Parts: sequence; C-alpha cells; structure tokens
Amino acid sequence: MNQQRTGAQGGMETSFGFQDVGDGEKQTRVNDVFHRVAKRYDVMNDLMSGGLHRVWKDSMIAWLSPSRTANWKVLDVAGGTGDVAFKIVEASNRNAHATVLDINGSMLGVGRDRAAKKGLTENTEFVEANAEELPFESNRFDAYTIAFGIRNVPHIDRALAEAYRVLKPGGRFLCLEFSEVELPVLDKLYDAWSFNAIPKIGKAVTGDADSYQYLVESIRKFPRQSDFADMIRNAGFERVSWRNFTGGIAALHSGWKL
Amino acid sequence: MTEADRETTLDRKLLELLVCPLTKGPLIYDQEKSELISKKARLAYPVRDGIPIMLPSEARAIEE
Repeated sequence: MNQQRTGAQGGMETSFGFQDVGDGEKQTRVNDVFHRVAKRYDVMNDLMSGGLHRVWKDSMIAWLSPSRTANWKVLDVAGGTGDVAFKIVEASNRNAHATVLDINGSMLGVGRDRAAKKGLTENTEFVEANAEELPFESNRFDAYTIAFGIRNVPHIDRALAEAYRVLKPGGRFLCLEFSEVELPVLDKLYDAWSFNAIPKIGKAVTGDADSYQYLVESIRKFPRQSDFADMIRNAGFERVSWRNFTGGIAALHSGWKL
Repeated sequence: MTEADRETTLDRKLLELLVCPLTKGPLIYDQEKSELISKKARLAYPVRDGIPIMLPSEARAIEE
C-alpha cells in the first residue's frame, strides 16, 4: 500500500490505486474496472463529483471554444461514452468532427448507441485503441481532449507524447482530471466523502465496491496540478496552464503544440 | 447507406485517418474479413460492428 501522490517523474504506471503493481499489469486491471462500470459510468461520475462533472465538462468545452468551420477535428481520448465529444460537436453548431477513442469496447458501445440516438453519427466516429499507441498519422487533429481518463493510462508520458504527435502545429491539448484540493477544510471534507462514502454508494448502486475504491485511490495518486503541468511541458507543449474547478477537486490543464 | 451497411463497412473518413498503431504505416481494409491489415507489422486488426479495434493484443498475426 502506498498512498503517496505520484510526481512529475512518474509512478502512475505501477500504481493501481494504492496498490503497487508490476509495469504492464495496470492496464488489465483498469480494463476490468471499466468493463464492470461501463453502463453506469455517468452515474459514477455524478457520484464522484456530486454532479459537478457536467459543469466542469461544460467549462472545458467553453475554454476549448471549438471552431465552427468545417473540417475542424478533435480527438477525444478515453471518451468512450461520448459525452465530451457530443458537447464539442454541439458547441461547433455540428460542424466539428470528433473521433472518440477508448481502449474499452464496452464504453465505446455505449457511446456509439448514444451518437445514433442524438443523430450525430455523421460527426462522430469510434475507435478502440490505446492512448499510448495512437493509430493516427502525425499532425492530424486540431484539438486533443481527455476528461477523467489520463490517470487510468499506465504510461502518462507516452500518452502525452502521442497527443503531441497527432496534433497539428497550433493544435490544442486539454485535459480534465480530478486533482489536488487546494482549499483547507474542503480537502478534509472531500477526503472523507471519497474514502468513506463513494465506495459504499458505489456498492449500493452497482454492487461493486472494489471498482469505486480503485477510482478514489487513483484520484489521490495522480500528480498534483503543478507536477502534471511539468509532465505536459516535458512532452513538448507550450503555454501550459491550468484552472482549478471547485477548489481543485478537478483541474483543467491546457497546452499548445506551437 | 442502410443501417445494415453501417454495421459492416468502415466509414471512409475514418479509414483515411487510421494507421497501424505500431508502425504508423498504412492499412489495407479487407471488407470481406472485416480486418485492417498492416503489412509492415504483419497484423490484421479486427473491425467489429463498424468499430476498428486498433490494439495489437487483439490483432491476428499474419503468416508469411
């Protein structure tokens, strides 16, 4: 058991929540979690964020402010259920084109069904792939988004390098992730909520406490705002900055490929 | 395109965008087998329900 937050130098690749695992083992364990929770994923995010993830995602889209010109392309990674991609396409007046990528087929299945229901199949496509090994040529996308996904990627440095590679020069990287609460009192409250309430609620709602235990632990292991910004810079991005949401419960990091 | 076609064929725009995740080289679409073939990596990536599965662990090794 290791509850220390990881830093800019790495460590997430061998952390499955608070458990230390072998390099190469994390992906399988994470896959299992998301196969189990796929159908309840949005409910889960509501639980973990008190419903705020919807507000944060809207803020992410506002900061991105997707172009309304045709041929503007976004790659949404770990976006299986499609909610971020759909918001981007809607914000572009249905001009943007979104490629939704996820390593998990269960999540993508949910997303593709939703795209059909929303009449967005022309604007969205779904690809099962690994964020560390993107199946795209270099310089193809105008934006890369990832919301509540990067902490589940074993080798974050590789995912960031791939993000940089597939973005066009002038392209934008945006990452929304649970982060370190920077307000006193709120941090204690949030910890109590995370570690006591969430696994119990998760068990009551889905019958699966272990998945939720992983999710709260992985939030606590993920590098704090300044360390994650360093990792983004190390991948080559410039003008790296971040905004905290709700006292740092979540943070939105931004970088540019210039 | 009918719904049935959409199930079996791969969107042309998507096909244009995809490369082999290992070699970043081109792919050939075998519609009959519903596979994307990377000659360089000697792998065939499956396409299931119109979703390409670009994971080497899920791909079929191609014999010489």
